Amino acid sequence: MDKSIFAAMPSLTPTLGYASMIGLGLFSLALSYAVKTLLVRNTHDFIIADRRVGFGFGVGSVIAVWTWAMAVMMSSAMTYQWGLSGLFWFVVPNGFAVMAMIPFARILRKNMPEGYTISEFIEYRFGRSKVATAIVTVTMIFGIILEILINLKGTSVVVSTVFGIDWKVATVVGIICVLVYSYFGGLWTSVMTGTLNTLMITVPAAIVVAAVYAQIPGGSEAVFNAAGAADARNLSVLRPDAAAGFGITLAFGLLAATVSDQTFWQKVWAIKSRDVGRVFLWSGALFYPIPICLGMLGLVGIAYGLKPADFGGDIVAVGPYIVSHIGLGLTLVLLYVLVILAACYSTIDGASAALSSVVAVDIVKRYFPQTSESSLFVITKLSVLLGGIVATLIVLSGLDFTTLVLTTYALKTSILLPLVLSILWPKTNMVGFVGGIALAIAVGMPIYATAGELIGTLSIVAISGLTVLIAGLIGGKDFDLGGLRRVTDEVSAPAE
Amino acid sequence: MYMIITIIGILVTLFFLAGFWRGLQNAIAEYRSAAPEPTDVPDYGYGGLAAASVIASAVIIAGAGFSPSMIYAGPLLALVTAAGCGLAFFAERKSGA
Repeated sequence: MDKSIFAAMPSLTPTLGYASMIGLGLFSLALSYAVKTLLVRNTHDFIIADRRVGFGFGVGSVIAVWTWAMAVMMSSAMTYQWGLSGLFWFVVPNGFAVMAMIPFARILRKNMPEGYTISEFIEYRFGRSKVATAIVTVTMIFGIILEILINLKGTSVVVSTVFGIDWKVATVVGIICVLVYSYFGGLWTSVMTGTLNTLMITVPAAIVVAAVYAQIPGGSEAVFNAAGAADARNLSVLRPDAAAGFGITLAFGLLAATVSDQTFWQKVWAIKSRDVGRVFLWSGALFYPIPICLGMLGLVGIAYGLKPADFGGDIVAVGPYIVSHIGLGLTLVLLYVLVILAACYSTIDGASAALSSVVAVDIVKRYFPQTSESSLFVITKLSVLLGGIVATLIVLSGLDFTTLVLTTYALKTSILLPLVLSILWPKTNMVGFVGGIALAIAVGMPIYATAGELIGTLSIVAISGLTVLIAGLIGGKDFDLGGLRRVTDEVSAPAE
Repeated sequence: MYMIITIIGILVTLFFLAGFWRGLQNAIAEYRSAAPEPTDVPDYGYGGLAAASVIASAVIIAGAGFSPSMIYAGPLLALVTAAGCGLAFFAERKSGA
């Protein structure tokens, strides 16, 4: 297939890029202001939406926060790099990771109905251990900041690839757009804008991918034949090198990314209790088509024999490059930009909302319990801005996208099994919990650095889990999870 | 196929927005009523349905390696995602209902 079909579109000017970013931000701001007026009166509403998020908003918003720039762009990139095996290993654990939340969400929502954060659960689970609580709080903050900056980086990759805007300027404009609207309504804003973003991700993605294939002479059949002719393994999902190269590492990392992420735990305690289980079921199942759809752009890259040098050297840019250079109309290219901006914005505002809950419950109320409601409300809102500013400064320092993602996942993996066991296994104790995480980082991370991602990840998981099991078997005391029902609401709504 | 997906996409968008509007009205009404929200968590595990969706996703991706027409399964299913979100609004019960 002749790749001379790819050519830059002169109509994709920087002005259009700014208009797309700011336009989506202004739309979200208008919705956010309405949400603030109608549904947010205090800190309780801001960080937990009065625990009244219904089934529809639950499903839409969980899909939105899980649809990172990762899911949108890496699905194309992994398919481009590994063929359908890349898509398989990227997609299958992704939806599973969301559904894996179901048992943990049900247990904690049932036994600790007034909770806010996973760090708060750890506080009561381990007898108010400051060390255990601090480790989890710091991990959650670290994870949230990385979530924001990874998606900011995603925005800048797309906008710079498609519109030729300087990526640093795109980063700053992007974060301003999100923070301005996130500041107003907290979790309710995140839930509603996120749900609308799910619409803006799915329908445009379907139309744009179909349009790309309609633009190619011979359509899907030509791509199918060319991809197979380039390497028969491109059309197989059974490449062992894809599994070893990134698949298994990513699978563990994705599990850690949901179970060890306050963005999801905040939703567990904000969604109506009767809907918690089915929200995560529907969200996981309905998430699958998004990366499957966008992954098909990777096959186009293979079929045309595109080289990374054709689109700036970073394979993450293969999808944006194909869409913006294959000769689609301007409207369709803008729709694709909307897909990625919506994915980035919704994940960032979800992470910002999660950060606000950590700051309110795990920092201010824990260390400064006498803080007044009005002060807490202001501090909580300001934390949204602070998290965005910190993430922006890190992005502007120029870190590598893929390395950043894998490093985040490796760190979160160290907390995965200790957290899971603390929910499921009554014998889990503080020594095992803290020791497991500490040993996984102290021993597992050097293994990760020297022996590679696969052995490193497996080592981290094994070390942390075994430490918890050994300490639990030696310790011998059972924890009564039902006792957590006595935990009172830390940030209850003030009386009218 | 492009035209079909575009037309279905428009219809799905309308369905989604109708659901969103219903969900928004429910949320505002519940907030204003301030009725206490039940704290019961149903015992459903959903294990079978979760496993089925994992297997289905794997089969669909593998299918794209056997038939060129399966490449369009991705875009069509993305529309199912939007429709599913819209449906979720109609499947939710109001507090006290």
